[in-house]
Amino acid sequence: MKRPTRLSAGEKLVLTANRLLDGQIVWRDAFGQWLPQIRHAETYDAESAELALENAKHNAQRDGVVGVYEVAVQDGSAIEPVSVRERIRAHGPTVHPQFATEA
Amino acid sequence: MNAPVGHYQYDQIDRNFLQSRIEEFESQVQRRIDGTLTEDEFKPLRLMNGLYLQLHAYMLRIAIPYGILDSRQMRKLSDIAHRYDRDYGHFTTRQNIQFNWIRLEDTPAILRELADVDMHAIQTSGNCIRNVTSDEFAGAAADELVDPRVHAEILRQWSTLHPEFTFLPRKFKIAISGSPNDRVAARFHDIGILARPGVDGTVFRIFVGGGMGRTPIIGQEIFDAVPEDRLLATLEAIVRVYNAHGRRDNIYKARIKILVQAIGIEAYREAVEAELALMNPDHYRLTPETVAAIRARFAVPELVAPDNASEVLAQQRIADREFDLWVRSNTHEHRASGHIIAVVSMKPAGGIPGDATSVQMKRLADLADVHSFGELRITHLQNVVLGHVRQDRLHDLWLSLREVGLASANVGLIGDIVACPGLDYCALANSRSIPIAQKLGARFGNADLQAEIGALSINISGCINACGHHHAGNIGLLGVDKRGEEFFQITLGGRADQGAAIGSILGPALPEDDTVDAIARIVDCYLGKRTAGETFLDTLSRLGDVPFKDAAYEAV
Amino acid sequence: MKLFDLGARASNFHEQLVPLDELQNFPDARAVLLEAEHDPERLKPFLAHLELVVLRFPIFRDGRPFTQARALREYLGFNGEIRAEGHILPDQAAFLKRCGVDSVVLSEGSDPALWEKQLHRFHEAYQRAVLPEAPLGVGLRVKPN
Repeated sequence: MKRPTRLSAGEKLVLTANRLLDGQIVWRDAFGQWLPQIRHAETYDAESAELALENAKHNAQRDGVVGVYEVAVQDGSAIEPVSVRERIRAHGPTVHPQFATEA
Repeated sequence: MNAPVGHYQYDQIDRNFLQSRIEEFESQVQRRIDGTLTEDEFKPLRLMNGLYLQLHAYMLRIAIPYGILDSRQMRKLSDIAHRYDRDYGHFTTRQNIQFNWIRLEDTPAILRELADVDMHAIQTSGNCIRNVTSDEFAGAAADELVDPRVHAEILRQWSTLHPEFTFLPRKFKIAISGSPNDRVAARFHDIGILARPGVDGTVFRIFVGGGMGRTPIIGQEIFDAVPEDRLLATLEAIVRVYNAHGRRDNIYKARIKILVQAIGIEAYREAVEAELALMNPDHYRLTPETVAAIRARFAVPELVAPDNASEVLAQQRIADREFDLWVRSNTHEHRASGHIIAVVSMKPAGGIPGDATSVQMKRLADLADVHSFGELRITHLQNVVLGHVRQDRLHDLWLSLREVGLASANVGLIGDIVACPGLDYCALANSRSIPIAQKLGARFGNADLQAEIGALSINISGCINACGHHHAGNIGLLGVDKRGEEFFQITLGGRADQGAAIGSILGPALPEDDTVDAIARIVDCYLGKRTAGETFLDTLSRLGDVPFKDAAYEAV
Repeated sequence: MKLFDLGARASNFHEQLVPLDELQNFPDARAVLLEAEHDPERLKPFLAHLELVVLRFPIFRDGRPFTQARALREYLGFNGEIRAEGHILPDQAAFLKRCGVDSVVLSEGSDPALWEKQLHRFHEAYQRAVLPEAPLGVGLRVKPN
């Protein structure tokens, strides 16, 4: 698993996890809610992400999520993960278009 | 319905055990949800019951012991695919099936459904002795010396919730075959077992310390001829030495192969013999009565065919060229006259290797009822076998398969690609494996072209864990991540059979489309340079990899 | 310290628990602590007057103490109490018992009812273990006590 240590220009961090009960990929919004669409995700710079991550990990059991970590994204008109892995997580498997995550 | 042939039949004791196991798992899920179990504690427990948390959802891997199941079990899998997953399942290289879109909260209900047909997910993952694999043609192939299924079942039972060996340093895979033609990759297993008739009953040749992953190693022979009554004692001793001395400080060095390499096969054998000398042989003896009792729980198919069955088949092959092509690649000689083994390819050109829709699964169950005593086998190359087809009915079977898109004539050919799920599903992968498999499958989709190329295996892994067995592919592809882009490293010359070899890296990794083109040039090079009757491996071993390297990289 | 008995043998409290490496300096010691990496063979000279061997799990995933317990019973003929401590889960109760362990040290907040439940969950097993167990049906199966 890749953890971004340094962000390039134009990059931000978002927080992600899987929902404990069904495994669904979720992204953390500005209010601390975990939602299936990456477009709701709150973006952080490297410093503020650290605190948010710690907080989210601490509350993972209460919030019903598992495996909280941060993901580097391009923060343009739409939030788009930098790595192929995270793009597949955000949008669904590339080989089954019918299973794409609803935008 | 008649007793299903091919696998051990459960009795009430086995069914009670499954119910207890489900109740246990349900309580573990409950403790995870209420927070009594942390994720770090729950993970090994759920893995031991086949439940992964993958990229998009939980994945449940269901055991198909020694790859054999019956039609009612296949129908249940179809039903689970339809009701709890997204209408498909995926056959794996360990003869199991996995579902990719499972909800944790549904798993106890799914396990109850499976138990209704004597199935489970026990030890399909975790650092324990995994589901035992065997020859997909066991009990049917003409080239077989000993039917390995009874001993495979004995190993399944012995390893089930073994009190001493459920928390090993790392996963532990056992395969058993009874044919001189190794179809189980015995030398690439933690323990590989080859059964053969001895002077005084069955004896077992045992290999230890093989494996793939980031350190591919070919297993070494530890014992040449273990008698049947000593089989369990010997395995206990081998695993015991590993449990006590295998590394636990680094998961990449924790497999038995690393221990065998570190101390050498002679020292390992001595350690096992020292254990055996201390063990009470009576306590561990596998008695003929026990073997007979388990053998008695296997129903045997009554193989009766009309005298002219072979003749009918020969006529149909002459009359139908497309059928003939399929028979050449997708069948294997049966031990009984008038019968034949049919392999259903789950690798349609451009498809996803090993995927089956719920409708296909149901159809396969129906065809198994009609043509093969309700018995189906999953192969470690992700295909499905109907083991006992009457030769005069093979054409009917083929016509039925064609209707559901399962008549690809490519078993053992270049289109019979083995690929792991890769980055599209797997949390560990570095690159996708399926898209390049689909491109290669489409590129070489033509049945005549595949027949012309002949025996050639392509294996694709999306990371160094090597679940696609790329080290053992005649052409192997390993996906690597280069600054966010997927590249593929090509290896040539791997094979998993009795001549087991690890493929050698050909040169620098290439991007996906360039890799497909490079493989096309490698194949062209082979077709241009082969002499009559030479397979790809023959030509490669005669010429070495230089001409293939030149061909692969000429346009780059 | 809260103890949980897995089988018929009642656990006994010992004032002094001596680490294996120091055992030779304490000739009167009755109780010894084995770490997972220790070879139980090393206890051989002391076994006659040892009453308790404690096996420590560094983490529940480290399965070496199962092999140690079995070796103590099966190879060394140890008849005293074997106890497991450290990071252990109730889900391991029956495995421990079948390898010859008599008792476990319950960690803080551990629920004895859960241990009790796990200990008696299975009424069938598929292989011989250290304890004498009656055959169950045909084949390899036995009935755990």
